[in-house]
Amino acid sequence: MTVFSLIIINKAGGLVFNKMFHDGLNKISTNDHLVLAGTFHGVHAITTRLNPVNNPGPTPSPATGILTRPEPPSGLEVLESENFRLQCFNTQTGTKFLLFTDTTQANVDVTMRRIYELYSDYVMKNPFYQLEMPIRCDMFDRKLSSYIREINNR
Amino acid sequence: MVIFSYYIFDRHTECIYSKSWVAPPADGSAPPPLSAAPAGGPTSSAAADRRSMNKATDDAKLIFGTVFSLRNMVRKLGGDDDAFISYRTAQYKLHFYETASNLRFVMLTDTSTPSMRNVLHQIYINLWVEYVVKNPLAPIEHKGGVGVKNELFELGLDQFVRGLM
Repeated sequence: MTVFSLIIINKAGGLVFNKMFHDGLNKISTNDHLVLAGTFHGVHAITTRLNPVNNPGPTPSPATGILTRPEPPSGLEVLESENFRLQCFNTQTGTKFLLFTDTTQANVDVTMRRIYELYSDYVMKNPFYQLEMPIRCDMFDRKLSSYIREINNR
Repeated sequence: MVIFSYYIFDRHTECIYSKSWVAPPADGSAPPPLSAAPAGGPTSSAAADRRSMNKATDDAKLIFGTVFSLRNMVRKLGGDDDAFISYRTAQYKLHFYETASNLRFVMLTDTSTPSMRNVLHQIYINLWVEYVVKNPLAPIEHKGGVGVKNELFELGLDQFVRGLM
């Protein structure tokens, strides 16, 4: 079980955080990371549009009879390749968390939730953090590294 | 298991074959069902046909762009021998298989479907090679889908996919 790296993309498609935890993926330059973030942002929007399932309009809920809308189509959530697995978590505000793990990693949802909690606690609650800007928060770095190290050593 | 649609792209990035097993999704721009259409049906249904065809070609282009970008991303991160297999959203799952000659097969299914990579490989060896490559009348380049839309291939594909569902 290995977590390779974490990338955080802001709602405009800009890279705000990237960190490697374990060898296994190619080392790519910061510039390539920025390109990757932008590309993924675009692809994510397209995958939302490609939804082949018929989406019924608002339907009355059986219990209350109030019109309820089905969940809007979501974009890419999990990508699999021969060497790694990419889990994407899109928050309500459009920030994307990309977690690269090996193909056998289980319970990535739990890991993702924990990372989101760390982000909320140590980035969003940091009074010096400017929204949509690159994340430079020592506490977040430290807590994240120790959490991931715990998973990788399991 | 539900299979929504199937696409083949050649090495010139052109969509040379596409097939859908579901009705196109009804979005805001979709025309009303034919029974509700006013009199003067032929013209409106022709327009509807054209619109759904435009939608289909647009979708094929979007799908190609997506798999092309993701394939390049995967190769950059996982090394040149890595291959993009599939991605999943909350609504559907897209499976991808690329041959050595850069022929790309794409299949859209529901989310609970396990990996369809071997299925796409089967389609390649049992249907594509048998009925398209070995067909002496089929051209080398399938511009606009020439040579792919032959009866045996289409029938075989339809039977194969319906057998899976």
